[in-house]
Amino acid sequence: MKITDEVRISDNGFIFNSKTGDSFNVNPTGLELTKLIAQGYDFDTIKNIFLQKYDLDDLTFEKDFYEFCALIKYHQITSQENPLDFK
Amino acid sequence: MSKTKITIAVTGLNNTDNPGPGVPVIRSLKDSSEFEVRIIGLVYETLEPGIYMEGLCDKIFQIPYPSAGSDELIDRIEEIHRREPFEVLIPNFDAELFSFMKNEDRLLKSGIHTFLPTLKQFQERDKDKLPEFGEKYGIKVPASLNLGSQNQISEIKAKFEYPVMVKGKFYDAYMAYNSEQVKQAFNKISSKWGLPVIIQEFVKGTEVNVIALGDGQGNTIAAVPMRKQYITDKGKAWGGITLSDDKMLEITRSLIRKTNWKGGMELELIKTVKGEYYLIEINPRIPAWVYLAVGAGQNIPEALVKLALGHELAPMESYKSGKMFVRYSYDIIVDLEKFETIAMNGEL
Repeated sequence: MKITDEVRISDNGFIFNSKTGDSFNVNPTGLELTKLIAQGYDFDTIKNIFLQKYDLDDLTFEKDFYEFCALIKYHQITSQENPLDFK
Repeated sequence: MSKTKITIAVTGLNNTDNPGPGVPVIRSLKDSSEFEVRIIGLVYETLEPGIYMEGLCDKIFQIPYPSAGSDELIDRIEEIHRREPFEVLIPNFDAELFSFMKNEDRLLKSGIHTFLPTLKQFQERDKDKLPEFGEKYGIKVPASLNLGSQNQISEIKAKFEYPVMVKGKFYDAYMAYNSEQVKQAFNKISSKWGLPVIIQEFVKGTEVNVIALGDGQGNTIAAVPMRKQYITDKGKAWGGITLSDDKMLEITRSLIRKTNWKGGMELELIKTVKGEYYLIEINPRIPAWVYLAVGAGQNIPEALVKLALGHELAPMESYKSGKMFVRYSYDIIVDLEKFETIAMNGEL
């Protein structure tokens, strides 16, 4: 999974997809997650970062992470050759 | 570098809720780094807002509608040219293009340069010939059916699934969910724009547009893709944003190469969720959102003037994506004398 080249992420949480013209606002957690995905970190690394930083359990993180990934994929912010691949 | 002085005549000053491209074309020309322009505004109606916008036109002339006859229109253009000589004419209305294309040589002999599509290019992209156009140039288009009379409405059910788009030959489009709605749209459109009325398959997706300029030899001199962000109830863009979409540019370049398109154009496309593009319309002129392309880095009206004057141009390859335009309405206070002068004398 990778953030597509046409996507621009601003530090204030504004995400713009220059291919579709869509723009989104994400909250600070969404922004942190998007930036980690953009930096190419895999699922396990992102999970470890979040578990260390926040009072969070494995299952809740996984559920929220996959939900977030499905949402940004739907909006063509990410591309994924294999739908089960979150590397 | 000193700028070249040039006088340009422009039509389409109707900056209403169904805006003509005249005003943004003039703004683009005034932004030119190479030309110092003097503008002759050509208007059909006395209430076209461009007449009253301060600093826009140096001189205004009223011209007769093409429906009054091509000769009458061209005679008037030549008369204006004798009084206020201009080098280039940029027509901006679909309905007047045919008259100007047909009289291109006559205008040139009078010293008036234009840069318009050929009659063949103009006619083969007609809405009622879109399926043939798509097949010839290898581009996906929605299936369509031309209705010459109301009796044919019953044929729709066998060929299409509702909803369908009901379109006029020049303007207007309505979505219809059943034959009753088709009938209503048919009556509205045929009384205004004549026949045929076109039934087009409804393709679900996002409408995206490209403004482009072809040099008549297959080269794309300019092309900027855009998505409408705010659409009025007349389907007009009231806000839009430039896109970075290589596929749209590829479609545009391929079409211009294959057709040797000459002049400005607007491609209207539907992008489906699967990422397929369907061509729904080609407007054979500069669209009203042209100033967005200028803001993004491609001054298309300036390039069109250069092509009209016979200059050779290199294609403009880059533009800024994510540039937006937001349209607004504005009340101009006008003294009655101005209105009186244009209404009584046909010029201002």
